[in-house]
Formats: sequence, C-alpha cells, structure tokens
Amino acid sequence: MKHLTPANAKAAQFSEAAAEGREDEVVAMNSMVGCTTSFDPGWEVDAFGGVGNLCQPMEADLYGCADPCWWPAQVADTMNTYPDWSNDASDVYNDWRQLQSVFPKSKV
Amino acid sequence: MTIRPTTTAVAALALGLSAALPAAAKDYLMVPARPDKLVIVDAAAMAIDKVIQLEDAGPLPQTPVVNRDGTRAYVMMNMLESIAIVDLVEGKTIGRIEMSGTEERVKGMFGMDLSPDGQTLVVYQSPVKMLADEFQVQPTRLAFYDAGTGALKSTAEVPRQITLVAWSKDGSKIYGMGRKMYVFDATGKQIEEKPIHGWEVETYAQPDVLDVWSQFEQSGVIATPYYTARLDGAPDDPETYRTGILTQDLDSGEMLMRDVEATDIFYFSTAASPTDKNRVFGAYNFLSSFDMEAGKPLKRVPLPHSYYSVNVSSDGRTVYLGGAMSDVSAYDAETLEKTGEVQMPGGASISLASVRMFQRQD
Repeated sequence: MKHLTPANAKAAQFSEAAAEGREDEVVAMNSMVGCTTSFDPGWEVDAFGGVGNLCQPMEADLYGCADPCWWPAQVADTMNTYPDWSNDASDVYNDWRQLQSVFPKSKV
Repeated sequence: MTIRPTTTAVAALALGLSAALPAAAKDYLMVPARPDKLVIVDAAAMAIDKVIQLEDAGPLPQTPVVNRDGTRAYVMMNMLESIAIVDLVEGKTIGRIEMSGTEERVKGMFGMDLSPDGQTLVVYQSPVKMLADEFQVQPTRLAFYDAGTGALKSTAEVPRQITLVAWSKDGSKIYGMGRKMYVFDATGKQIEEKPIHGWEVETYAQPDVLDVWSQFEQSGVIATPYYTARLDGAPDDPETYRTGILTQDLDSGEMLMRDVEATDIFYFSTAASPTDKNRVFGAYNFLSSFDMEAGKPLKRVPLPHSYYSVNVSSDGRTVYLGGAMSDVSAYDAETLEKTGEVQMPGGASISLASVRMFQRQD
C-alpha cells in the first residue's frame, strides 16, 4: 500500500483503518443496492488485473452501468439525474459517440 | 456494470415456474429494449412476434413479469418509478402504477413478481422523502398491488439490500434475496431467514453476490452465482478462489450453495433448466453449463460479446442469452453451439433488463 495514495475519502478511510487493523469495518460493495451505497472502485481493470473479465466490448456495459446508477462517476446516472443522456443513442454499439459528458447544475 | 470481487464474491439470479402447460403452448421471449419498447420474440423461430410501444418508460423498461397464460405483463420502467400493465394480446398499455408521489420518490429497483394466482403484484421498494434540503431515506418495504386494477393493497417493512423477490410456487411465501435469503409470508411478514453472507464462515470468505436478473420463471428455481475464497487455501493458489451457485427452489423451499469451479472467469447471471434443476447455465463473456449435483462445470464456450441475462426453453434444449447489447441469441443446451439470433428493432440496447420467457397457446 505504500506506493498507493488514497484518491478519495473512502480510500483514505480504508487506508487508515488498515493501519489500525480495522479494515473489516470499511465495507466495499457486497450487494447491489443503488446509488447511495454502492461503492466499486473503478472499471478500467478487472479483478485479475487484466481486462478479459470486463464487459466486451466496452460499449456493452455503458447502459448497464448508467441505468442502475452503478458507476455514476464514469457514466451519467440515467436513473435519477440524467434520464435523457442516451436519447440519441439507443443502439449503443453504433451510437456511443453521441453520448456526451454531463455536468452538475450550479447549486448557487 | 463490472464485477470486482475482493476476497469474497459476486453473482446474479434466476427463478422459475415450470407450470404444466398444454402441449401446444409456445415459448415466447419477453425482451425490454431501450428506451421504451417491449419486444416479444417467438423463441422457436427466433423471430420478432410483436413490438409493444410503452409510454414514459425511459431510459429503460427493466423488469417484466408475465402472467400465467401469457396475456398480461407488468413492466418496471420510468427510472424504476412506474409499472406499466400491458395487454400482450392487443399490444397496448391498459394501466399504470405510479409508485412515486410529490413528497416521496419510490424506486422499484429489481424485485417484482406476480403471485401464482395472478391476483397480486409484489414490488420491493426503496422510498426516499424529498424534503426541502434533505433526501430522507425511508425504510424499504414490500408493496402489494392488485394485479387487476393496479391499486395499492398494503405494504410491509422489510430489510434493506434485497434485490430479487419471488413467490413460492404455492403462493404462500415470498423469497427476498439480499445479504440473507429472507422468507416472508404472503403479507410480507418475515418468517425465516437463511444465511448467504454468513454461509459457512469457518470455511469460506463472505460470498459476493450480485443478483438483479429475474429469470426464475422457467425452472421454478432462483439460481445465482457467487464468488468466495477458501480460508484454508494459499492466497497465491488459484484454486483458493471459488465460484459457486446458490439455488433457491421455489417449490420445495430448499436453498443450497454449491461450489462449482475455481474462479477464473465471471458470470453475471445463471438460470436452471426447467427439465433438470441440476443443470444450470451461466453467462457473461462465456457461456457455461454446470452439473449442480456433481458440483462441476460441464462445458464452456466464449461468447461474441458480454451478455447479462440467461434463460432456458421449456423443453430444456435451448439456452437464450440477452442483455447488455441489442441481440438475443440461442444456444444448444448440450453443445453450447449458437443456433440463432434476433436483433432488437433499431439495434436498441437491452441493457440491464431481464430477458424473460412465457408460454401462450396460439
């Protein structure tokens, strides 16, 4: 772990807990439960350190990640905040380039 | 959606209803497609029979449930906040259940099933009060709707983190799958619970389960893959990491968790055969068949792309794969050779929807 720097609060919490031997108290994803409690640290590398167990091709997984708000940082959350994100791209294999980045509305 | 088990595990489900059907009844596939279509496929011909247009369904009509005679469907949709009641013969929406109100947002997520007598629709709901400056999470519940009128009959508070719900075949119980397998009576009162995350803790790490696909109607068995590790195994030994399949029989009530292979690939979901409950099929980037009694894999073939959902024909001879992209493909249940494919209209993605089966006398 000494070469890894926590990139967010959850990761920092895990690092601190590991140092104290309490890492079991910091819980990653165990069950699919929706936006607020699903924590899954990235989709770029699979559990074996490769890419063979990621969805193939990448396009296949875009809506499976968006529709249940599984990866709200990587793809737009179509379940709550951005339901129209994919209006122009029902055929994800051919139309995925129509999918654009989204930005939160200003709260001020 | 990507599966990333830690030292524990992952999976998905299937439940069944191997109803005794007249010989002439045909198998149909019920395939939701983005953003608002319900596609009925003649399973033997692998040809589209009907495309039903839904209203305000996007981004995805996700979980469909079909009644016993194949004439009516209930479809979770509209950001998981509405349920369409669809006449499958006329191809029209005849009713709609709105679960959310002005002060409370209610998501149905993945758990929905119709009672065997076709009278009551049960939905697992996650409500949130939308206050002025606060989203106040409310207790999760089972909601019971009159399947004819769509009227809410009752609710019962139940544990969080349940994904699938399924009625027992005799209609007396409801199974809710979460950190445990919860068993409720027909009113939602909990009467039993069986460990899933707490299963065989002396031998195995906490199993990792992902179970969002309702595909149990054919076999009458919820089948879901899980991923775990043997506590007595060496961390650098690939055999330490185990893939298993949980089966919950909706007829007998028996639940089993059985090791089937070392974890070298993942399955997003599994389904049992209606003609042999010991034969289970798993799909994702590979399609595999398993002998559950022996606890071993039978055959494995690579797939042209990822599929989330798997289902099995009434005669047990054909396995159907769907989800993620826009096709449903048929595979021979013995050889696992591809035998057919049907594309959704316009290449519309099936995404996370459950691909279900029903029978209707033509």
